[in-house]
Amino acid sequence: MRKKYLLVLLLIGILVGACTEKASNEPVVFQKPSNFPTPVYNFDKNPITTEGFALGKALFNDPILSRDNSISCAECHNQNYAFTHHGHDLSHGIENRKGTRNSLPIQNLAWQKEFFWDGGVGDVDFVPLAPIENPLEMDEQIGKVLEKLRKTQYYPAQFKKAYGSSDITTQGFLKALSQYMLSLVSANAKYDQYLRKEATLTPDESAGLTLFNAKCAACHTGILFTDQSYRNNGLVIQDGGDDVGRGRITEKKEDYYKFKVPSLRNVEVTKPYMHDGRFYTLEAVLDHYVTGVQQTPNLDPLLQQNVSLGIPLTATEKKQLVAFLKTLTDTQFLQDKRF
Amino acid sequence: MKTLPLRILTFIGLLSIVIACSKDEVDPISPGDKNNVTLEFDNRVGSQKLALASTSYQNASGENFTVTTLNYFISNVSLKKADGTSQSFPTQYFLVRQADSNTLTPILKDVPAADYTAITFTIGVDSLKSASAVEERTGVLDIASYGDDNMYWSWNSGYIFFKLEGISSAAPANSAGLNKYQYHVGGYGGRTVGAPTTNNLRTVTLPLNGTATVRKSIAPTIHIIADVAKVFTGASNLKIASGAVIMSPTAAIPIANNYKSMFTVDHVHND
Repeated sequence: MRKKYLLVLLLIGILVGACTEKASNEPVVFQKPSNFPTPVYNFDKNPITTEGFALGKALFNDPILSRDNSISCAECHNQNYAFTHHGHDLSHGIENRKGTRNSLPIQNLAWQKEFFWDGGVGDVDFVPLAPIENPLEMDEQIGKVLEKLRKTQYYPAQFKKAYGSSDITTQGFLKALSQYMLSLVSANAKYDQYLRKEATLTPDESAGLTLFNAKCAACHTGILFTDQSYRNNGLVIQDGGDDVGRGRITEKKEDYYKFKVPSLRNVEVTKPYMHDGRFYTLEAVLDHYVTGVQQTPNLDPLLQQNVSLGIPLTATEKKQLVAFLKTLTDTQFLQDKRF
Repeated sequence: MKTLPLRILTFIGLLSIVIACSKDEVDPISPGDKNNVTLEFDNRVGSQKLALASTSYQNASGENFTVTTLNYFISNVSLKKADGTSQSFPTQYFLVRQADSNTLTPILKDVPAADYTAITFTIGVDSLKSASAVEERTGVLDIASYGDDNMYWSWNSGYIFFKLEGISSAAPANSAGLNKYQYHVGGYGGRTVGAPTTNNLRTVTLPLNGTATVRKSIAPTIHIIADVAKVFTGASNLKIASGAVIMSPTAAIPIANNYKSMFTVDHVHND
């Protein structure tokens, strides 16, 4: 009788042990949507765990990452707006400093080959360095961030939970932020539901989709709505043309004024638009393509196929396109409590 | 009677020392023998010692300049043996910083016992490591390790291979009112296969001006002189007045083309 009791206890113990083991090691948040391609990011070198994700989330939301401990990543990457800086043309840094670019959404990073408007960074793990060290953004040294984290009560314990050691290293810090950011997957917009035959598009949305495929999808390609290339879409060159985009990275004349083709997922909530946030509405963006495109150096050939530069659209077509673009809004993603 | 054997012993002892010393041979090599080789970086300006900040020097264009910062990475060291074969050390990376005397004599570890006659190294961080995953960047490659004296570009991922800064009356005053010149050289060719960007990695081979005899009991020091004056001349004369702040890889090509000739081996100690 007693022996049997012990045996049962032992079995329960093994089961509980097995369950906790499983819970802490499985990628609980990141899941590849069935209609998405294979991720670019190599998860083997940084498997997502509940604890690593939680650490990354805490870091993302902690102003300790900035020099004067005043702003966090989330300041310019707010979930409600697909992790962008709502209403700000340019991202703001500490001491009210103004950056030079519009903050990009943080979504579906696992499929991105290069990051930022100019593709200057080629690995998610190195993305946080740029805003942390940019004097106009967080203006802090990563070494000092690690020092500050080591002095807290909280973080050494969280690193121990995530990695088994309370040592706060560059690698552990950056990979935790990656675990969090990579988990921000948006793949449940009305358009996705339509693809899965769980929703139907209105006539305007449907007409917009047809127009989109004919006139926009050459650049805003596929399920990610970007071909991840760099193009000059004919914006008026402002501010003396100091921001040469991709040209700043490659230092090649043929890359001047090219910027990354952004994804259009959640585009309804990521206003304002363009690398410098110059357009406040989707209608203004479409107006640019219809009548605003300028013949500037390296203007994309796709915008030079018609009698006049740009993409011809009637007022009705613009309305239909906007209706379709709004089907890319993923409310579940924008409100997901886990994020 | 008693003193004779002692005298004889002393004589034999002295004789053996003389013979040992006159025999100009080093220890024999057993398989697996290895030792350290110290690379002593002796940074100078022409025929003067390099003193940070305090001293004004003159470049080939007649401009005065001080040096407040001099840093450079050394990687992919290889040593050429007397028999013509080479031994490479692809996993050892060094960062020489004039402000930190501990970094001026980095140690090349696990050098197999042999007679070496030349050294080859890359100034900078080779392209493979420059684009490597974060877990591969430890020691001097840890991007969080540079403090105020940053050696990594965050916005266009890559290491600053070579950094020279100072004050020159030829430089225009900056926003802080300082006549500062800054040469930051980086650029490993970029990540995009088929569309390379500027590559400022430079590799130099220097005869050792002697032989480094690495033995189980001998850990040589290779005394390398780096002449900062040569940064401003050689392939082309650089004027601080025509570009005091150079940080983009393409603009920095002439700097890299000059500094690849700044290194010479003065001598080798076999101790």
